Amino acid sequence: MTRTRIISPTRFPSLKSQRCGSGGDASFMEQLLLHCATAIDSNDAALAHQLLWVLNNIASPDGDSSTQRLTSAFVRALLSRAVSKIPTLFSTFGNTVFQPPADEIHRFSVVELAGFIDLTPWHRFGFIAANEAILTAVEGYAKVHIVDLSLTHCMQIPTLIDAIATKLNKPLLLKLTVVSSASNFPPFINISYEELGSKLVNFATSRNIEMQFTIIPSTYSDGFSSLLQHLRMYPTSYNEALVVNCHMILRYIPDETLTPSSPSSLSLRNVFLNQLRSLNPTMVTLIEEDADLTSDNLVTRLRSAFNYFWIPFDTTDTFMSEQRRLYEAEISWKIENVVAKEGVERVERTETKGRWLERMRDNEFGGVRVREEAVSELKAMLGEHAVGWGMKKDDDDESLVLTWKGHSVVFATVWVPI
Amino acid sequence: MPVDRENSSTVSGDASVVSSTGNQNPPPPKKKRNLPGMPDPGAEVIALSPKTLMATNRFVCEICSKGFQRDQNLQLHRRGHNLPWKLRQRSSKEVRKKVYVCPVSGCVHHDPSRALGDLTGIKKHFCRKHGEKKYKCDKCSKKYAVHSDWKAHSKICGTKEYRCDCATLFSRKDSFLTHRAFCDVLAQETANNHLTQTNLLFPQTLLLPDPEPHLKSPAAPPTSPPSVALPTKIASPSVLPVPSSSESPQDNPLEVIMEEEAIGFNVSSSGGISGDPTSNSNGTPRTLGFNMSSSVGISGDHSSNNNNGIYAGLFSSTSTASPSLYASSTPSTSPFPPPSSSMEPISLCLSTNPSLFGPTIQDPPPPHFLTPLSLPPPQPAMSATALLQKAAQMGSTGSGGSLLRGLGIVSTTSSSMELSSHDLGLGLLPCSSGGSGLKELMLGNSCVFGPKQTTLDFLGLGRAVGNGSSNPGGGLSALLTSIGGGGGMDVFGTAAEFSGKDIGRSS
Repeated sequence: MTRTRIISPTRFPSLKSQRCGSGGDASFMEQLLLHCATAIDSNDAALAHQLLWVLNNIASPDGDSSTQRLTSAFVRALLSRAVSKIPTLFSTFGNTVFQPPADEIHRFSVVELAGFIDLTPWHRFGFIAANEAILTAVEGYAKVHIVDLSLTHCMQIPTLIDAIATKLNKPLLLKLTVVSSASNFPPFINISYEELGSKLVNFATSRNIEMQFTIIPSTYSDGFSSLLQHLRMYPTSYNEALVVNCHMILRYIPDETLTPSSPSSLSLRNVFLNQLRSLNPTMVTLIEEDADLTSDNLVTRLRSAFNYFWIPFDTTDTFMSEQRRLYEAEISWKIENVVAKEGVERVERTETKGRWLERMRDNEFGGVRVREEAVSELKAMLGEHAVGWGMKKDDDDESLVLTWKGHSVVFATVWVPI
Repeated sequence: MPVDRENSSTVSGDASVVSSTGNQNPPPPKKKRNLPGMPDPGAEVIALSPKTLMATNRFVCEICSKGFQRDQNLQLHRRGHNLPWKLRQRSSKEVRKKVYVCPVSGCVHHDPSRALGDLTGIKKHFCRKHGEKKYKCDKCSKKYAVHSDWKAHSKICGTKEYRCDCATLFSRKDSFLTHRAFCDVLAQETANNHLTQTNLLFPQTLLLPDPEPHLKSPAAPPTSPPSVALPTKIASPSVLPVPSSSESPQDNPLEVIMEEEAIGFNVSSSGGISGDPTSNSNGTPRTLGFNMSSSVGISGDHSSNNNNGIYAGLFSSTSTASPSLYASSTPSTSPFPPPSSSMEPISLCLSTNPSLFGPTIQDPPPPHFLTPLSLPPPQPAMSATALLQKAAQMGSTGSGGSLLRGLGIVSTTSSSMELSSHDLGLGLLPCSSGGSGLKELMLGNSCVFGPKQTTLDFLGLGRAVGNGSSNPGGGLSALLTSIGGGGGMDVFGTAAEFSGKDIGRSS
């Protein structure tokens, strides 16, 4: 009897919802995922098959608990990896038993994106900290040149413009430079950067700020070499401040794990920082996620990822369902990238705060403490979000860290050349 | 200032006695508020059960047995009984400060050293953290377990302070600003503003292959003609790289971008451009969009032969970033004097701390998610099977996953569990944390296997794998099959029986 009718796991919601409410299940899920990863990478098709099946049954993408949904995202990623590594699995699974991978990622309109990034303090934390620092750095300069390397497509800029307009003696000119490659990973927007820029210029104008918007075609995969080249060619004049704002982008620059054979000094990440330093910028802000997703070993990497990405899934409790779906889709994209991709395709190579600090120091940058006003502003902002959000100040290294239920999420640091 | 406590049954483990001031003359010390979760070491710890904690009438009148939520209310009530003065007094013994712990084990506030000093506080905490969110805001989707939290939220919900012209409300200024910058309504507005200004409007076309690039007003209603006879063109072949021979080929891609589409930009009537535009024979504006001031004499200078000069002056640039798309002002040869304010770079406080990169502070491992043990290395298959099997075994020993027990089918499965573990004869490998969850989950899984008899079959676990494959796989499948109930073959029969039971229970 080989009835091959597939039952979608969601047909039995009552069974699902009972499980996975408590933390103990998360450990168990993690174990299964790790075993599955090992099975896939050692080409053990049978075991991989069984584990994937079990995992699929116990973790639904629409599950009630965030643990289930988190695990489901990992299961999809593992399946994607399994199918590419073990072709025989593909013939068995096809696309039917499991949910199709999240290929279709939503394209946001800018207004939508503006609302989306403020759902949690994930980005706003870095925005506030960086903008505060930038304000202190550029005060008094006639020209302010901001290079915005950000995952969020300039979402930090409107508040910066407003702050410059209201708090500083107006600069003669505000130049904003962005790169065109920040569109190979989510969030994706549905307009061109030209349009985006025009809106920003418009906004600046409405605040009486002269603004100039420039797009440089440059990509993270070569460490933004064309951007750096451009900046070298048009060096800053004496009364011009150059601020490079790096918000969750530098992790995409290939690091040593992508080119393990070459010496560390040649890693594109270090090269980028080195060349950035030689431009003598007035200030560099570095905001990144505090996790290590760089390991070459899949099991290690999966464990790190599981122990980090549970956080965004956990924070979606207060979201509306559509927002949650979109948000989790974005995180799932990252999970899939970390788990299923290898080589240059695997772009999410997040490193820990400690590692970034080391790099900055090695490249002759010194950390700067953010002002107290910023800290109070940050606390006020956090107070308006869910109760789990918090922050801590690390006096050893001048960093500010956003936390969720005590776990480090994002760190914000400010640097000047030394 | 903390007062000396003689009593040694304290909150903290060690006898940390706080000394008093020793001087009786100063006024009694103000009652100090301890930080939440860091109670007075000399306080008495009260542990109430959940039921007592949530009881509404804890204070009972001894005369009429009426219950009150608060002691003060009870005292007020007692006055009404006209008690003789002796009975009216409170007990004279010194009242010790009481602190309360949360009854839920595993909770941060369950530990006496993290007790809360306020009964209301612990009640709220208990509800918030461990209670059900019964109160829902009707304006947004937020849910609350504590009534006062919900009320506090409802007060501010909807009383948003920032409103965009597109009628969206925001409670925070930064989200409002970010939205506003990108909202289309802003573009409309600025366009309308410009229409009302006398000058500086330009016709629609921008840039382009056209040697005389035109400037475009942003989002202007298509019917708006420039109302003034202003120079409408930027002089020159601005598209081509100009004076600076140092233009690199990298500019070309940008120019391609520039040429591609009609790009909107902003013409504003603000800004400080004034004075005589520097005439520049090269006059090659490389920047395309700009913000210009209308207060500027520019509007006045209509001399046509100077047109190029005007804009050239505004846009000629030797040092401005060449591949810019939207420029908003003059280049370095600015016609107006730089501000007299100090130009020197701000001296920032550098951290001179040599341990800038001191040891990264490690966060405590997340309680639920970090596997404290490393995986037993080279036998993943064994461990996976062992995992499942351990769960089964744990169930079979009668302690039973609470889930299954709750479902009332422990007894049904225990025999099959025993069968399976007997079958496999595999040694148990110690698996890491989450043991109870594991057991629960796996026993729960066995329920899942029931209804999914078709998928079981589809994946051939009941058959193919069990028959010929390698050991671990076989073990696993045998386990799965036997959980499904009994022998390998009649999966469906038993499974159906299973499913009936657990679906019934689990609904």
